[in-house]
This record gives sequence, structure tokens and C-alpha cells, in this order.
Amino acid sequence: MSILFLLPSVVILATFVFIPLIQNFYYSLYDFSVFSQTKTWVGLDNFKVLLSDKVVQTALANNFKYAIISVFFQVAIALVLAYILEDKIFRRVAPFFRVVYFMPVMISISVIALLFGFIYNPQMGLLNSFLDLIGLGEYGKPWLGNSTSAIYAVIAMSQWQSIGFIMVIFIVAIQKIPKELYEAAEMDGAGKVRRFFSVTVPQVREAIFVNTLITITGSMLVFNEPYILTNGGPGFSSITMAVHMYQEGFVKDNMGYASTLAIVIFILTAILALIQIRLSGTGKDE
Amino acid sequence: MKRTFSFVVMVLFLFASLVACSSSESGSSKGENGEDIVEINFFHRWPNEPRKSFYDQKIKEYMEANPNVKINVDAVLNDSYKEKIRVLVSSDNLPHVFSSWSNSFAENLVSSNRIMDLNSLLEEDKEWSGNIIESQFEGFTFDDVTYGVPFTIDGKVFFYNKEIFEKHNLQAPSSYDEFIKVLDSLQAAGYDTPLVEGLTNAWAISHYMGTIFQRVLDPGVTAVDYNAKTGEFTDPGYIKGLEIFEELTSYMGDISTAIDHETARNMFGNGEIPIVYMQFAEIKLVENIGGVDFGFFNFPAVAGGKGDPDALTGAPEGWMLSKDAPKEAVDFLKFLTSKETAYEFTKTDGQLNAIKGGVDEGNTSPASFEAYEIVLSASSPAPWFDNAVNINIADIFMRGGQSLATGQTTPQDIMKDVQERAARLKNE
Repeated sequence: MSILFLLPSVVILATFVFIPLIQNFYYSLYDFSVFSQTKTWVGLDNFKVLLSDKVVQTALANNFKYAIISVFFQVAIALVLAYILEDKIFRRVAPFFRVVYFMPVMISISVIALLFGFIYNPQMGLLNSFLDLIGLGEYGKPWLGNSTSAIYAVIAMSQWQSIGFIMVIFIVAIQKIPKELYEAAEMDGAGKVRRFFSVTVPQVREAIFVNTLITITGSMLVFNEPYILTNGGPGFSSITMAVHMYQEGFVKDNMGYASTLAIVIFILTAILALIQIRLSGTGKDE
Repeated sequence: MKRTFSFVVMVLFLFASLVACSSSESGSSKGENGEDIVEINFFHRWPNEPRKSFYDQKIKEYMEANPNVKINVDAVLNDSYKEKIRVLVSSDNLPHVFSSWSNSFAENLVSSNRIMDLNSLLEEDKEWSGNIIESQFEGFTFDDVTYGVPFTIDGKVFFYNKEIFEKHNLQAPSSYDEFIKVLDSLQAAGYDTPLVEGLTNAWAISHYMGTIFQRVLDPGVTAVDYNAKTGEFTDPGYIKGLEIFEELTSYMGDISTAIDHETARNMFGNGEIPIVYMQFAEIKLVENIGGVDFGFFNFPAVAGGKGDPDALTGAPEGWMLSKDAPKEAVDFLKFLTSKETAYEFTKTDGQLNAIKGGVDEGNTSPASFEAYEIVLSASSPAPWFDNAVNINIADIFMRGGQSLATGQTTPQDIMKDVQERAARLKNE
């Protein structure tokens, strides 16, 4: 009888997650076009193509760059920011800064991409103008039009947008830490930095785990930012797995191969999540 | 038991909702007085002005004249349109009336079996179909069946700033070598980037590549290579073509890979850049910026080139109907491609149209009318490259073009990738 209570969520999950997932595995064994009604069985050929696909190597490298930089900025820096904003000294201005840092989270990614398009504009962009202003004009470049800098310019935009969200999660976690722990540490002569490492970090371990998980899986799935800002270019220099998958499916019309790429993304994120769950030991009784 | 029943009903309702969500029928609805209203889904690729407002106005006019019709319009720009129309085809959600490029783009859509065969329609209403320039149907006709109605015609040429050319005593070049001399002279005169293109737009690269390959390669070679079932791309002319493109990008500066075509056009319109490769469709947009007296020259002949040196790159775009389009959608299409609409369209938008009597000196600027005569008298048309070859091949060339411009690849590497992909396509 009680199983009926689970039925609605099981139906929704099955419809939107499990059935498409199984379908995707099935589609990856075929070669087909959105235009044609027929599918050609190719077995594991799509996986063979994937192994020699140079774009996959570039895309994976970019996804990992995204993950590493995002973990540093969105987890490490966001935790430091949260700690600073929760400090007694900043108590008065904290609400203002919380809003300021959180604001980008609420803005549509398309709007943000447009904004950063202006910032990175090679002719009249804010970034190059600022570099000119402070005498570093020679370091100015067409940030999105340069094969080396494009991916980092895209990643930078993501950090600006997401750091506030992660910071708020940390703020909530820090507020839950018993005050006595800080008082005891202070009585023992611990300074602010020592208190951060000895009290805050261990106490927000769960939040660090959750945020790292969100950030890394998000980095593996990232699509909007590179798609809107550079479409993966110049060449393939800023392409990510999700953009590659989308383009193979809906631009180049290789739906079977796009399904294969989707499987890679799924396996990658699943493995990373499992590793983190094992390493963090969350959910276990202390 | 009651509870069980409630849950089962709830689950069934949930399923019904999901199924309803995925339904693609637009069908009909009831008007204020209980009359049947036929809904037409209309999808085009111009969310930008002036064309958006033009079509919005035409929709309004049509609905006022036909109160039993409601037109739902959607519009997205160029590359996004290509992607969205594919999604709509794959989900069996094709709009009733929609815009399409000709050649391979149209052919792909036709292969879905969801596009209306227009042969009988064109035959039945000669008064309407006879008004359309016949040669323009070619890119929409496959196996003797016509699936699209051409509406706009176009051509791609270099626009040059006459004032700058006169000031530096330069003439429009007639050969590629002369063109390079012109670019060098302009650079020497202080124009760091005498030629600019918005290379973030892949299609803009494909226009260059298509024209260059047409000039350099034997038409027999491209005819074989551009067919996915026979293409090999082993002719050394492709390397030469890519080297020409690479050489031209060296005059574009490093900003070109960071700007779009619209920016390049605006730079030309503001007199900052002497030469930009543009479509005749952009004449009015350049004129609207104002202040630049410009002329045209076709992509010059390449020494040793085996293609027609006077061919003009450009192909018509037009309208298609989905197989299940109601008769009201057919009527709306006829309205969109009528002489009156076409004449007004060119007057408002500036782009030339394929309707007889739809273009004259009364609704065009002198530059546009000159362009119209160039298009109609071109020795041969060359299709847009990204519509002439399989998109997988076009994509390698287009992205390769970006990488060439940033010095990240070589023509040889690009051709190696193209040849590998072509071999795979042959076996698919």
C-alpha cells in the first residue's frame, strides 16, 4: 500500500531520467539523422570514433580546466568570502555584500554572456580599456578571439556568476557552527586565520563536499557559457563536452554519435560523484 | 481501495499531462463569436530589424483580411535557426510555414518526409507561380519535385570604400594578385586591417571558402567532392584555397576572430575599414549607417584557377510548408510571395527578391538596383558553401578557418581532417 506513495515520484523520475537514459544507450548503437525515419545499426562504431576524436580530447581538457579553476574559486574563495562576511567586523555591511555577490546568480546567463561580450570586446571592451588605463595596454587582447585565452575568459565569467551561490551555502553552514567553538579557540589564543582552519573548515566539511560536488559535476556539464560566448571557438579551443555533444547532434546531425558523447558525460559525472562520496565519507555516523 | 483508486487516477492524470505536453498539434480554436479559428505556425529567421517588423506587419494585415486565421510567429537568428529547425523536425513539431536556405539545407529538410510537395500547387495556380523567377526554383527542387518557393536572391561581393580608394589612387582589382597589392597599399597607407571579417560567425568563413574553392578548383572536382557519397577532397587545389584564405586573414588583424560579421559591417559603414566581403542583402544596412560611398567588386580571378572567374556566390532563400499545413497556410504563403508583398519587402528591407516585377528603380537604391542586375546577369551562381557540402565537412572547414586565422593549424592539417571525415561519410 505504502508503495503507492512513491509512485508519483517514480513515474516522474522514470519519465524524465531513467527512460531517456536507457534510450540514450540504445541510440548510441545506431547511426541516424533527425531528418530520416530510419536508424542504421552500427554497434560500437560510435565508441571507436569517439576514441580517435581529437575534439573530445580538447573538450575533456577544457572541462577539467573548468573543474579545477571552479573548485578553487567557487569552493576555496567562496568559503573565505563567507568567513569574512560572517566575521563580527563585517556584521553591518555583510547583508549588502551578500546581495552584491548573489546578484549575478539571479541574472540570466544570456544576459551575463552579453555583458561579458562587451567586457571582452577587443575594440571598446571594458577589460582592454581598463588595462590601457593602468598602463598595461600591451596585455590587452581579443580575449574571446584568441585560441589560448578564450577558454579562460569563458571560465572567468562562470566564476563571477556562480561564486555568490556557493558562498551563500557556506554562510548558512558557518551560521550553524556553535559559537562556543570560536570562543574556546579565541581563549586558546587562536587568531582569525587559525580559527578559520581549525574551526570553520572542519565544521563545514559537509558543505565543502556538497559544493565541490556541485562545482565539479557542473563543470563536466557546462554548456551555456561556452555555447553563448564562443560557440566553442576559435576552432575548437573553448569547446566543452556538452557543446560538442550538442553540435554533433543538432548542428552536424550525428544523433547516434551525440548519444555516445552523452554517455561519456554521464559516466564521467557518475564516477566523479562516486569518488567524492567515498572520499568525503559523508552520510556516515560520526 | 478508494485511496488506491485515487492514486491510480492521479498517476494516469500525470501521464496524460506529460503526453499533452509533448503534443505538437496546433489545430484550431474558437473565436469570440464561436467561429472556427485556424492557427498557423510561422517560423522565420529574422528577429532583427527591419525584417521582423515587416513580417509582423504582414501577419497583422493577413489576419485582418482573414479573421478566421491566427498566425503564431517565432523568429531566431541564422545559426540558431538552423539548429532550432532541426530540433523541430526531429520532434515532429515543424511549423506550417517556415524559411529555408536552398540546396543541401533544403534537401536535408526534404529527406525528413515532412515537407510538402509543391508541384501540384505551382501547377494549379500559374498566376501566382508564374510570377516567380523560374531559375531560382533550382535550389529547392530535388528529383523533379519542388519543395520550396524562392523569395530572396542574393550575391556575395567585396564592398569597397570609394573615397578611400580614390584618395590612395586605387582601382577595384580584377585578379587576386592585384587584390593583394591593393591590400598592401592600404596597409602602407595606415589601415592596419584593410580587410575585416567577423570570424566568430562560422557562416561568414564558409562564404569565403566556397568562393575561393569555386575560383581555384575544377567544377568537376567540386561536383564529386561536394557529394557526401563520392567526396574525397584530395585535389591540391583545396590546400591552395586554404592558403589564400589564410593570406587574407593576415590582413584582418587579430580582432577578427573576436568579432561578428555585424561588427565588421558597422566598421565598414562607419568608414573605418576599406573593404569587407558582404552580401547584397546588406546594402540597405550599410546605407542606413550612412556616410560611406561604396562600390562592389566580385572575388577576383585566381591565377591558375580552374573555376569560372565571373561566377557569383549566392543562392536564393525561400519558404517551405510542412506536409500537414492547412490550406490557409498555403494561402498565407501566396500572400507572402505576392508581387505586392515582394515589392514592399524590398522597399522596406533592401534585400532583393525573386518575384517578377518585385524589384525596380522605384523600390531600390542605385546600389541595390546595380546589385539586382549583377545577380540576374551572373555567368553562373555558386551556392553558399555550408549549404553545398555536408555539414560535417563544412564544419571542419569553418572551424579550421578560425584556427588558421589564429595560427593554430595549417591547411594540410585541415585537409587531413576533411579527408578522414569524407571517407567516413562515404561509408555511412
